[in-house]
Amino acid sequence: MSQAAQPKTSLWSAMKALPGTVWSSVFRNPVPSNDLERSATSFTNFFLHIHPVKVHKNTLRPAYTLGLGLIALWLFVVLILTGVLLMFYYVPSTTQAYDRMLDLRGSVAFGTILRNMHRWSAHGMVAVVFMHLCRVFLTGAYKKPREFNWVVGVVLFLLTLFMSFTGYLLPWDQLAFWAITVGTAIAGYVPFMGKEIQFLLMGGTSVGQEALLRFYVLHVALLPSVLILMIAIHFWRIRKDGGLSRPPEADRVPPMEMAGPNLADPRNLVPRPYKTYGIQGLVRGPITKVNNIPDNTVYAWPDLFIAELFTLVVTVSVILVLSLFFNAPLEEPVNVMHPPNPAKAPWYFLGLQEMVSYSAFWGGVGVPTLFVIGLILTPYMDRSPGGVGRWFSRERLLANTVFIAFVVLNVIFVIIGTFFRGPNWAFVAPW
Amino acid sequence: MLAWLTGGGLVGSGLLSALSNFVFITPRATYGQPQRFGIGKPDDYPPGTRITLENRRICVLRDGTKLAAVSTTCTHLGCIVGLSDTGFACPCHGSRFDQDGNVTGGPAPKPLPWYQVTLAPNGELEVDKDIEVHPGSYLTL
Repeated sequence: MSQAAQPKTSLWSAMKALPGTVWSSVFRNPVPSNDLERSATSFTNFFLHIHPVKVHKNTLRPAYTLGLGLIALWLFVVLILTGVLLMFYYVPSTTQAYDRMLDLRGSVAFGTILRNMHRWSAHGMVAVVFMHLCRVFLTGAYKKPREFNWVVGVVLFLLTLFMSFTGYLLPWDQLAFWAITVGTAIAGYVPFMGKEIQFLLMGGTSVGQEALLRFYVLHVALLPSVLILMIAIHFWRIRKDGGLSRPPEADRVPPMEMAGPNLADPRNLVPRPYKTYGIQGLVRGPITKVNNIPDNTVYAWPDLFIAELFTLVVTVSVILVLSLFFNAPLEEPVNVMHPPNPAKAPWYFLGLQEMVSYSAFWGGVGVPTLFVIGLILTPYMDRSPGGVGRWFSRERLLANTVFIAFVVLNVIFVIIGTFFRGPNWAFVAPW
Repeated sequence: MLAWLTGGGLVGSGLLSALSNFVFITPRATYGQPQRFGIGKPDDYPPGTRITLENRRICVLRDGTKLAAVSTTCTHLGCIVGLSDTGFACPCHGSRFDQDGNVTGGPAPKPLPWYQVTLAPNGELEVDKDIEVHPGSYLTL
C-alpha cells in the first residue's frame, strides 16, 4: 500500500473511538477538573450558558431566596410537559370536553396522574410565584438597578393568574362553567369598554362553545408563548443587573485574602483564559474582576447546578407525591341552568370573589387594578436606596408593614371565602 | 428617507395588523339561543304562580289575568337566581331580589329586567329578550 507510510486511523480504531468522538462533538468540554474547564462548562453548553461562570455566594443561600423563583420555573416546566401530553387526549368541545376528562380518569394510561400533576403544579405555581413576589419585596430586591425586572415579574404574576383562569374552563364541569361566567362578567364591569371585552372573551353573549375554544387557544398557545418570552427577559435581566440582589457588604472582600492566592500551591495556577471579553461583554456590577483576585464568588459548576437540580428533584417529588395521593377535583358536567350553591372560584381567586360580593366594580376591577398599578410603580416611587438584600430590613419598616398588611388582608379574604361562606354566599361557621 | 419609509411602514403595518386582528376575533355571527321565542299557552301558567323556564333564563309571573316575564340572570355577575320565599336569591354572591325583581340585598347593582311578552295570533305567548319593558308592565290577557 502506498499510503502505509502515512499513519492513518484505521476504520476499526475509528469505530472503537466513535462513542467518545460523538460525545466530545456534542459536549465540547470534558467533565471539568480545574477552574478553566469549570468556566468552559458553563459557556459551551446551550442549557448552561444562561448562567454566569461564577455566581456570588449570596445567590446560593437558601435562607435568602428560599429558591422560590427557581421552584416556579420548575413547576412551569412540569406544567408544559404534562400540558402537552394532556393535549393529545383533550378536545375543546362542549359536547366532548367533559367526556375526555372521564376518559383521562378511566381509560387513558397515566391519565389521572398527569391531570393531577398538571392541576397541583398550577396551584403550586400560583402560590410560589406570589411568594416569590413577597420575597423580592420584603428583601428590597426590586431597587435600582432591578426596577424593570420587578415590573417584568409583576407581569409574570398576572400571566400566571390568566393561565390558571383560562385553564379553569377546559374541563367543562360545573365549577369551570360558573367560575368563568362570573369571571367574564367581572370583565364586563371595566369602565367604557367592559361589555366589549366581555364579548371578545366569550366570543358571544354567554359562555359556550366559542368561549371554550377561545380559552383553549389562550391557554395552550398564546399565553404560554408570552409567558416564555417574559421568563426569558426576566432571566436575562437578572444577569445584566448584576446577578441576584445582595446587601452591599456582601461584595466586600475579606481583607486577609487580599494578599492574593498562594502561587506556590499548584491548584492556584490556572492556565491563561483563551476566551477574552470585549468591553460590552463585561457584566455590570460594582467591581469588574480581572484575573484571580479573591472575591465572594463560586463557580457555577458544580455549586449552582447542583443546587438547581436539587430544587428540581424536590419540586417534582412533592408534585408526584401529591398527585399520587390527591385527585384533581372534577365536578358534575355543566348544567347551564343550575349554578352550584355556593359557586366558589379556586382558592386563590376566593379573596377576589369575597370582595366582588361587596361590589362588583370595586372588588373585581377597581381594587385589583389599583393594587397592580401600585405594585408596578413600587420601585419607581420608593427612592430610598437602603435595605437591599436583607429580610425585613429595619430601614424598610414602613414599606414592609404596608405590604404585609395588604397580603394579610387578602389572606383573610381568602380564608373567609373558603371556610366561612355557605349557600347563597351567606356567612356560615365552618364547624 | 429610507429610515422614514421603513419606520412608517413598520408602524403603519403594526397598526393595521392590530386593527385587523381585533376585527378578526370579533365574531360576526354568534351561536347562542334565539332571543325571541314562544313559551306556550297562557293556560300553562295558572293564576298566582311563578314558573321559571330554566333553559330560557326567565321566570313567568301570572297574577290574575296579568302575565309578565322576568329575567333570572343575576345583574351582578351573571349567575342564575333561584326562587326563594321572598322573591329570588343568587347562589354565587348572595344577591337577593323581591318578587318583582327589585334588589333587596347583596351586591347586585340593578333590578332584574322585565322582558316584553306578547300574545301571538295563534294564541301562544312570545317573549322577546331584546326588548326590556318597565318593571310592572304586565300583559293583560
